[in-house]
Amino acid sequence: MPRPEPLAGARELVDRLVGDRAADWDRDALLPAGVPRELAAAGLLCAEVPAEYGGLGATSLANGAFTAHVGSRCSSLRSVMTSQGMAAWTVQRLGSRSQRAQYLPALTRGRLAAVAFSEPEAGSDLSAITATIEPDGDDVVVRGHKVWTTAARYADLIVVVGRYRSGAAAVVVPATADGVTVTPVPQPSGCRAAGHADVRLDGVRVPGSAVLGGGQPIGMLVTAALAYGRMSVAWGCVGILQACVDAAAEHARTRTQFGKVLAEHQLVGRHLANLLTARQVATLVCEHASRCWDSASPEQVIATVVAKQVSATQAAHGAATAVQVLGSAAAHDGHVVTRGYRDAKLMELIEGSTEICQLILADHVVSSARRKVTQ
Amino acid sequence: MSQFSASEVERHIGQFLAARVNDDVPVDRDLFASGLVSSMFAMELVVFLEQAFALEILGEDLKRDNFRTIRSMTDLVLRLQPAETHAEA
Repeated sequence: MPRPEPLAGARELVDRLVGDRAADWDRDALLPAGVPRELAAAGLLCAEVPAEYGGLGATSLANGAFTAHVGSRCSSLRSVMTSQGMAAWTVQRLGSRSQRAQYLPALTRGRLAAVAFSEPEAGSDLSAITATIEPDGDDVVVRGHKVWTTAARYADLIVVVGRYRSGAAAVVVPATADGVTVTPVPQPSGCRAAGHADVRLDGVRVPGSAVLGGGQPIGMLVTAALAYGRMSVAWGCVGILQACVDAAAEHARTRTQFGKVLAEHQLVGRHLANLLTARQVATLVCEHASRCWDSASPEQVIATVVAKQVSATQAAHGAATAVQVLGSAAAHDGHVVTRGYRDAKLMELIEGSTEICQLILADHVVSSARRKVTQ
Repeated sequence: MSQFSASEVERHIGQFLAARVNDDVPVDRDLFASGLVSSMFAMELVVFLEQAFALEILGEDLKRDNFRTIRSMTDLVLRLQPAETHAEA
């Protein structure tokens, strides 16, 4: 019997909630509280959570295409979605069955979550994380200073990555717990309404049952947690490119200069062609990686990094191209391609900068190329 | 669900590693000390073991020592695969 499509009606809901307000949200650097809340309550911010934990059980491929749609409308909202999905994934990947049963239904029914990795001295080098999760009786005490935590401004739960025993763990901290201070980043350059915030944890006491994982090497823990975020960012960048293609096509088709529409000027035509190929390339690498996730192939690990790397760089170039095509028509805050230009550049910095992704890929090339000498 | 014997598990893992690094890997070779395995590669091993042996590696079982050698991964798989004669706990 065919199952109902888990994301039926999701695009329409997003279109209704976003309407034409993404530009205002960008200028205000704030989402209306009800918007992420309503999507979270419908399970749409982490749609891949399995049905047994109250989720929609969407495939990576289906949720990826949905993520791109959200990204084409509003990258800030898509960033909130990335954070929620990454929090859910972290629970699913690192948590026990009882922890999954405790936290995942909350995340599919309206609670909002963020994941706190970066610190003032631990950005690209997350092995330098100094936040601590210290056992104290049946509790743990969390201390640290996290920066640039996406969606923390809206979050009910903050998943904090820190040192634990001889390695690392993630711990689920209620944003309202004593000792938690959330301070929004003033005027971020991209995804302005995504609720980026600094998070201070001054001796925050939570039950030991809130600790996900147990002393893994920090590199392994971070790799596991970030994998979902990288997929989500990659698909979000497909959405940025889609919005840029649409806006550039409309402008080039209708704006006349030198007696003919822009599209008939060959140098503009080349921009349009480049935008089309950028969107296609990004879409294909994302689809490939999602299929690896959906078939549980080990190749998903590296395909995810390839997708993030390709999609973010294509989006950054593509959005710059779209700005060039639209000229003064888009040269103001809030315009969809100008948002795309700022948002895509930020996507080259987060979830592993372009350069960090390149280092990971280079390491993969070397480790796969070891040659047997016995032939 | 079918059970895998220790030698089957060991052979499976050995084949995966050999294909992945283009080299034969002895069952007791320390993959971390030999520089064969990065964090990314460790996650590939996790996903591979879960898929190949139809099991879930959760929480504390994700510790690095479980993935240090082909033998330690084999022990992990044998411990986690559902027992044939018991319902799942």
